[in-house]
Amino acid sequence: MAERTEANAQDRPGGPARPIVEFVDVTKRFGSTTALGNVSISGSSGTVHAVTGENGAGKSTLMNLLTGVHRLDGGEIRLRGKPVTLHSPKDARAHRISTIFQELTLLPNLTVAENMFLGREPRRMGLVNRPEMRRLAEKALARLGINIPPQTYCSALSVGEQQMVEIAKGIAADAEIFILDEPTAALNAPEVEKLAELIFTMKAEGKLIFYISHRLEEIFRFCDEVSVLKDGRHVATHPVAELDREKLVSLMVGRELGELFPQRVPQQDPQTMLSIKGLTTNPFPPKVSFELAKGEILGLAGLEGQGQRAIIRAIAGIDPPISGRVEKTGDDPAQPISVRPTIVAVSQAGIGFIPEDRKIEGLYLPLSIRQNMALGMLREQSLWRPARIKRDEIETLLAQMRVAHADPRQPVGALSGGNQQKVMIGRWLASGVNVLLVEEPTRGVDVGAKAEIYSLLREFSDAGGAVLITSSELTEVLGLCDRILVVREGALIAEFDGPAATEELVMNAALTGTHENQELEGAA
Amino acid sequence: MTVMAKNSPATARSHLASASRFVLNLPFAYVGTALLLLFAYFTRPMLLSPLLLLLIVRQAAPLGIAVIGQSICMRVLSLDLSIGGVVVAVSYILTSGALPFSGPVLIAICILFGLLVGATNAFFITRMRASSVIVTLAMAMILTGVVISLGQFHAPGDAPEVLKFIGQKRLGIFPIALFVWLAVVIPAALFLRFSVFGRYVDAIGANPNAAWASGIPYVRVVTIVHILSSLFAVFSGLLLVGFVGVGSMDIGGDLALNSLAAVILGGITFGGGKGGVLGPAMAAFMLTFSFNLLTSLGLGEPGKLMIQGAIIAVAAMIYASRRNK
Amino acid sequence: MSWLNILRFPGRSGLGIVPIGVPIVMFIFISFASPNFLNVQNLSNVNAQIAALLIVALGQMIVAICGGIDLSVGSVLSLTSAIIVSVDPALAVPLALLAGLVVGVVNGVGVTIFAVHPLVMTLATLTFLQGLALLILPVPGGDVPDYLEAMVDFSFLGLPAAFFWCLVFATAAAVVLRSTRFGLRIFAVGANEDNAARNGVNVVLHRISSYVLCSFGGVMAGLFLSARVASADATMGAHYGLESVTAIALGGVLLAGGIGSVPGVIAGTIALGLMTNGMNLIGVSPFVRAAATGLLLLTAISLQPRKAIGA
Repeated sequence: MAERTEANAQDRPGGPARPIVEFVDVTKRFGSTTALGNVSISGSSGTVHAVTGENGAGKSTLMNLLTGVHRLDGGEIRLRGKPVTLHSPKDARAHRISTIFQELTLLPNLTVAENMFLGREPRRMGLVNRPEMRRLAEKALARLGINIPPQTYCSALSVGEQQMVEIAKGIAADAEIFILDEPTAALNAPEVEKLAELIFTMKAEGKLIFYISHRLEEIFRFCDEVSVLKDGRHVATHPVAELDREKLVSLMVGRELGELFPQRVPQQDPQTMLSIKGLTTNPFPPKVSFELAKGEILGLAGLEGQGQRAIIRAIAGIDPPISGRVEKTGDDPAQPISVRPTIVAVSQAGIGFIPEDRKIEGLYLPLSIRQNMALGMLREQSLWRPARIKRDEIETLLAQMRVAHADPRQPVGALSGGNQQKVMIGRWLASGVNVLLVEEPTRGVDVGAKAEIYSLLREFSDAGGAVLITSSELTEVLGLCDRILVVREGALIAEFDGPAATEELVMNAALTGTHENQELEGAA
Repeated sequence: MTVMAKNSPATARSHLASASRFVLNLPFAYVGTALLLLFAYFTRPMLLSPLLLLLIVRQAAPLGIAVIGQSICMRVLSLDLSIGGVVVAVSYILTSGALPFSGPVLIAICILFGLLVGATNAFFITRMRASSVIVTLAMAMILTGVVISLGQFHAPGDAPEVLKFIGQKRLGIFPIALFVWLAVVIPAALFLRFSVFGRYVDAIGANPNAAWASGIPYVRVVTIVHILSSLFAVFSGLLLVGFVGVGSMDIGGDLALNSLAAVILGGITFGGGKGGVLGPAMAAFMLTFSFNLLTSLGLGEPGKLMIQGAIIAVAAMIYASRRNK
Repeated sequence: MSWLNILRFPGRSGLGIVPIGVPIVMFIFISFASPNFLNVQNLSNVNAQIAALLIVALGQMIVAICGGIDLSVGSVLSLTSAIIVSVDPALAVPLALLAGLVVGVVNGVGVTIFAVHPLVMTLATLTFLQGLALLILPVPGGDVPDYLEAMVDFSFLGLPAAFFWCLVFATAAAVVLRSTRFGLRIFAVGANEDNAARNGVNVVLHRISSYVLCSFGGVMAGLFLSARVASADATMGAHYGLESVTAIALGGVLLAGGIGSVPGVIAGTIALGLMTNGMNLIGVSPFVRAAATGLLLLTAISLQPRKAIGA
């Protein structure tokens, strides 16, 4: 693999003070995929250092190395000039590193104060000093201007409030290095203002803040330096003052797409295969309606956590929708069949669901490749009958999918990520469904396998199937999809024609939700 | 060191290593049975006479049948500890005379009863999403409690003739119970091996989340598994009552735990996604043999319990750590 | 906060309408059904009967809050009973405690380090320890050390010893839960062990400790019960494993972890104790009572559905 890039040769930032954190040639692998390759970044006291890049660029992985959640596979981390090994979050805390995780880590059954001091509860005579804990919590909350009683259970807080508590918890720690991972994801405007004030105070106090975000306006507003990551590699580090918006975006994106994506064939007279009518899902109240046509690959795009997942899972019957209907066109186009929103009924109706996490929800890792594929073929067979499995079909399919050097008796767990993904898709190809719902079709898959997965999906749609994908990789959505729907806060806010869309257009819509006010709600 | 001297021990060692890996990866039941037989050969050789061995096989048959149900439960990540309760109830229905019917009708009632218990277990496990261990233990408490209280009105008595015949007579030197056991095990093994149902059982065991997300009729499969398990428990009870000849209140009380031990010894574990029927059958024999051996060595009930417990704990820990590797 | 509010938003106490309502309804029902129920002698009997169960249930609660379950605690009780009449009186209590420690560590290590399902693991130790107890003491009997008998055979201010022991153990458990780091952290582990670990909580250590505390509960109950009946029995605790699970489930402790409280466990234990006593007074056979306990258990766990299907 060509891991070595210009990253090493990149200019080291000349910060205002000596760096207290240095990542030196840091490498991290997950199985066969390299999440980070030879990344070198450093940060100094009294600065706010942005780490940015697309989804999956490796930002969170880099920071998880500093928080002790992941271990290094290569390179080293230096704190105040000295190399350190961080084995656990506890270690990181001892080195005065405090993290505000992107996903909420608050425990619902603990109060705000208990959560804020979990793992370092103040004590008096061996017992937890609750008054002291409450006092400290109140103080930290007050710094952020939050008005939440510290005795409130966290299960009673809104997501935004939880995020603020998470931040308050992070800053209540006596630390000098702070990591803020997408801190504004769930905040409203006044809350962002409070956070801004806080960041400036902390900077003045001489703290180092790593600010992980892909929201450009925040980077320009809060940060002194910005490091850009792409595909696990370090692209560049620049003082923010030397950059403008266009320049930063060009650093983040601007990759040649090459032959990664298969040719799109425009459909004549598209026939509807799946219509979603007035779907509402759990955290998101807006009603969602759209149609999926035969021969089409439709993408749900948007920032992470905006409801794409909830929509596709509601259609699949995994987390049934609160209201709304899904209709599938069968043999008679005039008579669409209503699909009951349970996963068994959905699969019986000829709709396959391919989850994002193939290890947890996708594959039967201890079972062989053949057994995995064969399970798809059983979809329409009776429980009591002998299983009819066409082995030759499986072999053909495996060859077609170019599952590398596969003995079909091998357990699936032994395959690489890309091949596992292919087997998971292959199971549905073998099952004879004609609609596929695919979450993140190429998560954790190397580039070569990506191209093959794209062409598998394209072959499926060309053969008269229809595909709905969600993806947080914009390039993927742009390159693969015939049509793109942008989701923000659970609502469809924009629609683009695949070939006509650009990264900037989609990103803009996803960020601001103001793409020429092309509201799709009216269609419902 | 010469090349020769370096090579041959190395290859021999690697042969040995792969052979020992093969043995270690076998279900414990095979190795354990071999070791036990060896041990008996040196200490209590008379246990190895064909007649006694066949007697032990006959004694093992009820457990062997109950084990099949337990093994499918475990393969779908569930457990059935109500087996003992079902057997006590079956013994009561058959022998107490509380129901004034002929033998065959009573047997039919027992089967219906098994269906009902299995379906009830399944309802609580799949619909109410309650822990299978607790549900089935509670079921065992209820069944045993009710049966013992009813026993005050109708004490258990003689088993129906047809069951006594099956449980006690032999064909040539082979006990009929052995044939019954085979007649249940073989179709069950074939069914689980080749049917769609069996495939789904493997899938659920290998990854329940994936089985759910790929639209396998999860609830239906688990429901059927629990019904089957109770039915096997009924068959086991029929055989046991026939074998003992009279009903009693503590009949089959240890079947649930023994079947659990046998299933684990037979190589089935939570989350393995595989498991045969032969391993647990062998384990049923192994356990029964070991209890006989223990009795002949003068260790009574306490020793038996300790061995059961130790087997379950040690085997479960070894399997779990093997899987985590 | 008013009482009504606590009932509506029980937080992590698990104290809802059911845990508080069931014992009250039972109390009222039994006092009508049986005139003997309300006399002082019977009430103090009820107290004595439930004291051992309460001690076991408090330990079970700690394991459950931490996300586990311990079926073996009944056998620990039996083993304790067997030990104290079989060794030198001076060594009785230390040895019983040592046994409890070992059992707790074995359970905890099996569950955390070997990742055996807690039900399977503790079912195995349950069986093993039952065997061990019977090996030590094949027939009931023996002399319980006098000092133990003295400790459970007093009354003060007209209240029986059992009452004070309940008070001691309930208070101790409440202090552990409310005012120690351990207590706070087991709630965190039970709710989400990954997030607890991210906050620097040592999950393995807390899990193992919870099993050890539960075993200590079993030991204490064994001492109490043997001393009270002034005789030992190696099958004395056979029902306590499941009954303690029933009691805590009735008391609103979430078996999946993270929710539970001492008042809830007291309420659940009283509910179960009242049922037993009530049936006694009405003259129902003890076996029907076992069946009724099973039904109660089914009901209690059906009230707290989980996500997973299976063991």
